[in-house]
This record gives sequence, structure tokens and C-alpha cells, in this order.
Amino acid sequence: MQFGIFTVGDLTTDPTTGQTPTEHERIKAMLTIAQKVEEVGLDVFATGEHHNPPFVPSSPTTMLGYIAAKTERIILSTATTLITTSDPVKIAEDFAMLQHVADGRVDLTLGRGNTGPVYPWFGQDIRQGIPLALENYALLRRLWREDYVDWEGQFRTPLQGFQSTPRPLDGVAPFVWHGSIRSPEIAEQAAYYGDGFFSNHIFWPASHTAKMVKYYRNRFEYYGHGTAAQAIVGLGGQVFMSKNSQDAKRDFRPYFDNAPVYGNGPSMEDFTEQTPLTVGSPQEVIDRTLGFRDYVGDYQRQLWLMDHAGLPLKTVLEQLDILGEEVVPVLRKEFAKNRPADVPEGPTHEALVIAAGAAPVTDASASDHRDDLDTAGAIAPHRRATGAAFGLAGAAKTGA
Amino acid sequence: MTERTLAVVSAGLSQPSSTRLLADKLATATVARLADEGVTTTVVTYELRDYAQDIMNNMLTGFANPRLEEMIEAVTSADGLIAVTPIFTTSYSGLFKTFFDVIDNRSLTDQPVLIGATAGTPRHSLALDYALRPMFTYLHAVVVPTSVFAASEDWGTGDGGRVDSRVQTLPARIERAAGELSALVARSDRSTRIRDPFELPVDFNPAGLFPPR
Repeated sequence: MQFGIFTVGDLTTDPTTGQTPTEHERIKAMLTIAQKVEEVGLDVFATGEHHNPPFVPSSPTTMLGYIAAKTERIILSTATTLITTSDPVKIAEDFAMLQHVADGRVDLTLGRGNTGPVYPWFGQDIRQGIPLALENYALLRRLWREDYVDWEGQFRTPLQGFQSTPRPLDGVAPFVWHGSIRSPEIAEQAAYYGDGFFSNHIFWPASHTAKMVKYYRNRFEYYGHGTAAQAIVGLGGQVFMSKNSQDAKRDFRPYFDNAPVYGNGPSMEDFTEQTPLTVGSPQEVIDRTLGFRDYVGDYQRQLWLMDHAGLPLKTVLEQLDILGEEVVPVLRKEFAKNRPADVPEGPTHEALVIAAGAAPVTDASASDHRDDLDTAGAIAPHRRATGAAFGLAGAAKTGA
Repeated sequence: MTERTLAVVSAGLSQPSSTRLLADKLATATVARLADEGVTTTVVTYELRDYAQDIMNNMLTGFANPRLEEMIEAVTSADGLIAVTPIFTTSYSGLFKTFFDVIDNRSLTDQPVLIGATAGTPRHSLALDYALRPMFTYLHAVVVPTSVFAASEDWGTGDGGRVDSRVQTLPARIERAAGELSALVARSDRSTRIRDPFELPVDFNPAGLFPPR
């Protein structure tokens, strides 16, 4: 199981001081936070992608490339990479390059984005959000898996004999998660390919997340990538901690009450009850987080939102200390208990490389070969060894 | 015996309000018409005022809390809906509109709807046709042809003794609207339908739509 944080990269005024960081300060703070993630023993740092103020991370791989040089262990990821408005060719190139820079410590979460004008700014139509996500990802996969790609689609200019460079590190594409709050089409897409499904989780009730994850798991099994319990699930979370629960509530309340997403709406107590937000002691956070497993099953990745709503850098770093020292070590131990042996671990480049070595050699340029439809199988090598070619069976079933 | 459910949504603010009074009269008349056809009707009535904060929180956070979710489910799965608002500043009240803004815009598709409104004077009676009716048309609801507007003076107008018989009195308008709604509710199977929130379009292809297969 992997633990980490994801950042939106918002520039928000600290409601307790009236201070707003400059873009430069915020970007530097994000870089500091990412290095702190490694220092306190977490596993993943993921950044959002935005193309409008008050958000700074428009160029995630630039930022992650720097962090790659400053860290040795953590996985660098995104939350999310806009598959709708970015050219899949550029995504293929950027993340393959980052893979080499970071020696494989890279994966990414694809999302559609929720800022309407970004679509027309990048020449797209928001009403085509789902078709864009489907088609662009279909191309992205091929660019990483086939050396020369002939392509024609609905949305971008055709390609003849195009080779995306650099080729993925060790010939293995970065692991992909698909993120969606409420679109079953995206859960279906993730299941179809045997990719990961990341549920943002934090803005909606747990009952909703439970249904989406269950749907994804069932479809994962339907497409032949393994059992529903073996599907690759990531969850968001949102916490604010203090030794004493009441102090946490007192300190976080002004940030909650003024937060861009839910501020001036429900009370912190109501929102805490209705969503995974936990404001309290480390023990409360541990209990709440362990409870996620009750409604999504054993899962692979837990990311928390930590640096938002104007919280100062110092506070965020303190929160990360608590997470690393008091919370995550307990979670690692507790989540490992009763975890079935055939539930995959969180995806890593090393596991993908080992699985690729074990997999039967296929002619990557033959486009009707669909062994690529079993990403999950790739990170659960023991299943590969014992099972049949699930990916092919699944593809045949859907006539893909 | 045939059973149907009828949801009533009233955006009246005072208690009691003439908006609720009109809503109740429309519901009673509709239930009576359905009874004539041998249909037993369960009526669920909601005052939006009771949900005002939940509705605004939904507007701000993007999700309905459990209390509001239950109410939305009851309204959208009913065989028919009676929706009544006071007219404020030439249109539906903000609370009324906000409620219909936060529900899923596909959730009223095909639902038989009777619209009503109240106001101090008859001058804004067309608000039903330039504000409420287009809104429900956008939501693909089936709005019955007769909508019922009750100005304050209508509550003091009787059935008999009208010199001008071309002007329908309030009770007559209610009766006609109830007849139209009950005919659609009687035929509805909406309340017994099983709805799958994960249903995908029939031609959905997770690998994209191009080239056509």
C-alpha cells in the first residue's frame, strides 16, 4: 500500500493572516512539500494541472523533474493530468522523458478537468469531454507501446509512422490511473484496460465513492483482468491533525469556513460527517482512514490533500511530520493485516518491468494484438504466472 | 388495486402559505381523479423551506446531504409532480429554482408535471409560461397544458354567479389541470422502475468512438 499527498496548487489567502503567497512562493512551497514527503517516509507526491489562476501548476512534468532530482525514493505522480485538452502526443513525450529523468519513479492520473473555459482555450469542446478522454487515451497507450504509430481519430491531426520519443524507460509505459468523481464511463475505461481507478473521494459522500469503486471493480473482473478484489484502487483523503482533537478543530475551522470549494456552505462538523474530511487527533485520522477499507475493499494508494485553503507552509510541513511519524506507520501495519495475498501492491516501475520480462513476447507493432489490455496483470506477476491471458479474453468479449 | 405516487413541491415561505394551499388543492383534486379511475395514490409533500439550507449547501458543495438526497429521490421517482412557487420579481422564487438547479438534470425526464404559482396580483400569471414551463421543458419533463395561477383575489372567487363564463374560476382551473395530470400519472410506471446510475450509452466504447467499427 502506498501513501502520499496530492496538491491542487491553489494560491489562496490565509484567512487568519490575510497573507497571499506570490506564485513564486507557492511554487517553491510545493517543491519543499514534495521533498518533505520523502523525508517523512511517505511514498507518493502528486500535483494537479491547471491553466487558470489562482492555480500555479500548469507544467507538472517541469515541476516533477526538479523533484526527481531532489529525491531518491518517492513516486512522482499527477492529480490529474488533463487528457481532454492536452495533446496525447505531448503527454506521451513528457511522461516518458520524466520516467528517464526519475529512473522510473513516475505514474500519472488522467482526468477531464473541471474548468469550462480550458476546453475552448485549448481548442476543444467541453461537450466532448468523455469522447476526448477515451480517444486521447487510446492514442496515448499506443504511443507508449508501439514504436511506430499510424493513427487517425476524431480530435487530433492524423499520424503516419510517428514515433514518440524518448521511448518509455525499460520499454514499460508509466502506470496510469483514471480519476473521476461521478462518471461511470471513466470507471469503465479504467476497468477495460485494467488500469487503476482513482476516486477523489474528498468532496462527495462515502456512499458515492463506494458505488463508483464497486462498479469499477466489477467491470475490471468482467474484462478479465483478475477478480474484483484485485482491481487497482486509489483514494483521496483530507485531514488536519493536532495532538488534541479540539485544537485541530479550532485551528482548521477558519480555513474550512473560507475554503474555495466548500466555504460558506455546510458546517465543518456536517462536512466531516458527510465526507472523508477528518479534523482531529492522529488516532482519529487512523481510525477514519482504516474505515475506508470497509467500503472500497483493500486498496493500493491513499493520497491526502494537505496544502490548500491558504494553510501556511509551516503548518503543512508540521502536518506531514504527524502523518509520517504517527499516522502512516500505523496505517501500514493495520492495512497489511488480513490483506489477501493475491491483492496487488501499489504499482511501481520495478514491478511493471519484472512483469513485462515475464510476459510472453509480442509483436508490439501488430495493432490487433491486445496484450496491452492487462495493466493490472502486469503488476501482479504471480497472477500472470498462474493465470491465462486475461487481457485477450477480455478483449475478445467486447470485440475490441 | 393500482397504486401510484405523487410528489408535491411547494416553495411557499410563510406557514401556512397560499402556495402550499394551492399545492394541496391541486394534489387533492388529482388524487380524487385517480381514485375515480381505481388508482390509490400516495402523496409526498415537501416544503422547500424545510430544506433551504440543505439545498444551498448542495449548490455550494456539489452533493446532496443524506436528508436532501432522500427527498430528491422521492420527488424524482414519483409518478407525477406538482410544483408550485410564489412569483417573486416576475419569476419563480430563487429557492424554487435552486432546488431544480441542484437535482440531476436528467432526473425529471418523462415525469408528468403540473405547475402552479401564486402572487398578490394576476399581472404576473404569464410567469408560469415564460419561466416555469421552459425550465421543465429543458428538463424533459412532460408539463400538462393547464397550469394554475392563483392571485390573492382568486381565493375569494366562487364558482357560481360569474357573469362572464369565459373566465375560468380557480376551482375550475384546478379541476381541469388535475384531470390532465391524473391521466398521465395513471399510465406512469415511473415509481416502479429500477434505475441504474451506472448505465452507459448503448454505443459506448471504452476505447473511443473512432474509427467506427
